[in-house]
Amino acid sequence: MSTTEKKYAEDYTLQELLVAAAAREIKDREVVFVGVGIPCLGALVAKLTHAPDVILAVESGCIGPSPYRLMLGIGDNACVENAICITSLWRAFSDQQRGYFDIGMLGGAQVDKYGNLNSTVIFGGGSYEKPKTRLPGSGGANDIAISAKRTLIMMNQQKRRFLEKVDYITSPGYLDGPGCREKYGYPGGGPAVIISNMAIFRFDEKTKEAYLDSVHPGVTAEAVRKEVSWDLQVSPDLKTTPPPTNEEANIIRTLDSQKVYTGGGLKNLTFENYIKMLNSSHEKIKVMFE
Amino acid sequence: MKEEDTKKSLDKRMTLREAISKYVFDGCSIAFSGMGGEQVVAPTYEIVRQGQKNLTLMGDSPCEVGDYLVGTGQIRRVEVAWLAFAVAGVSPNYRRAVEEGLPHKIEVREFSNYTMGLRFLAGAMGLPFMVTRSLAGTSLEKYNDMIKVIEDPYGGKKVALVPAAKPDVAIIHANRADILGNTQFIGFSSNGENIARAAARTIVTCEKIVSTDEIKKAPTLTSVPQYAVDAVVEVPFGSHPWNMPYAYAYDLPFHMKMMAGIDTADGFKRWMDEWAFGCKDHEEYCEKVGWARLKKLAQIERKFCKSKL
Repeated sequence: MSTTEKKYAEDYTLQELLVAAAAREIKDREVVFVGVGIPCLGALVAKLTHAPDVILAVESGCIGPSPYRLMLGIGDNACVENAICITSLWRAFSDQQRGYFDIGMLGGAQVDKYGNLNSTVIFGGGSYEKPKTRLPGSGGANDIAISAKRTLIMMNQQKRRFLEKVDYITSPGYLDGPGCREKYGYPGGGPAVIISNMAIFRFDEKTKEAYLDSVHPGVTAEAVRKEVSWDLQVSPDLKTTPPPTNEEANIIRTLDSQKVYTGGGLKNLTFENYIKMLNSSHEKIKVMFE
Repeated sequence: MKEEDTKKSLDKRMTLREAISKYVFDGCSIAFSGMGGEQVVAPTYEIVRQGQKNLTLMGDSPCEVGDYLVGTGQIRRVEVAWLAFAVAGVSPNYRRAVEEGLPHKIEVREFSNYTMGLRFLAGAMGLPFMVTRSLAGTSLEKYNDMIKVIEDPYGGKKVALVPAAKPDVAIIHANRADILGNTQFIGFSSNGENIARAAARTIVTCEKIVSTDEIKKAPTLTSVPQYAVDAVVEVPFGSHPWNMPYAYAYDLPFHMKMMAGIDTADGFKRWMDEWAFGCKDHEEYCEKVGWARLKKLAQIERKFCKSKL
């Protein structure tokens, strides 16, 4: 699809824009280590649009699936569907450490200007041993942050989440700045992008600091700066994030018909609707892969 | 009976109650298979019923096994990478234990999924530790004295070392096994193959016990050979509400109901009263969930992934 022919959706939601933004970070033929939720939807949208030969990989050890349903987790049965390789967890992560995985997807409760992420504990006046908020922990995030060739970070834009320093580094970005990743011999290159609900940030090649690269439609740079704790630099070439195309929006709505990830569908999901969702996605998504 | 004796048995079948009461003891360390699915749920409920205490949980990303056994106060220490319920939500009992010391404080040693996998790999290889590029320079290293960072003795940069994990007991839930303990995953095996080998005692629960001839039709699927197994238990729908590849789909609506149920300490107690103590065994649990519902989950899965076996 050429740029001139792109028809942008007009009735899109913020979540749909985030999925599309994540999808556009993925190039064809890349190996993508995906997690749950919006980034995973983004990887599937990429596969169904500009990147048909992208290879998805998940932590449970499934590589290259083409599922005819929404992936409901990194060990969901959707992860084994039409896969090219099903192996074990340590093997998938070893392949990543060896350098085979091009992009990993991360999130967290806090991020700092060097792209370090915290998904372990919010001290909130307490400590690691006695924190205000205990979060789930690293899972595979520490490994992905260290070894994927580059990472994509998804975050909620709030001043208390975009910090000068995070309480706890679960997943390292550039640690304390230039040269730090090299010191520890990290195989991967570090974070390439942060996609928030307001904007897109990239990292300065020299300083390794996150700067504002693009604002979502209707958002100003000033509004973003208010939700960042450090002195945020703004690209001289500040862009506006393109909305999802009609094609992307249609794919997202087919993949997530009950709005499990792109709306409030999860809490009211009845068993009957869930089975219906699975039945209808088998018909509709199968066609999309053919 | 000595370890060698049970591992060399030619018929390792027993009930879930027998297996748990024989091998899971107060103060033991315990590990479970599964990753974002294939969780070891039925044995978890049985451990809640039997009430073994002071457990050390070694795991990558446990869900029910972590949350429930922390909530019942049966776990004293966790060595894990993550503890939550993924798309369904966070772990309320882990939060209560760490943030409020309820029902009691627990010790926490944190790793990542890969490095817990490497710990089990070291255990499975009979080695003292494994080396990795992960962990060094991050807070995991800073707050966990079990992680050592050294200079690569062959002249490279820094590397992290993680000690072997050798649990007293492992519980592995797989698609199928024979009565000797030859265990096959038709889908992913997560860290199961190494957890089974690293443990002193290994209980295999499976969706279906099959003949050894059936195992021999697809020997490349055997993740755990019989010599690493002490007990075999047939537990159909043993991962419910989680998914089991090629067997049944994820019961996400049930999980959401469970999450709402265990949100408070009282709610969690009620959930345990109803689903652990209110059912004498896994069969009663299945009856309570409803066989029609379980069969629907199995039926829908065949539409997506049908095993050729």
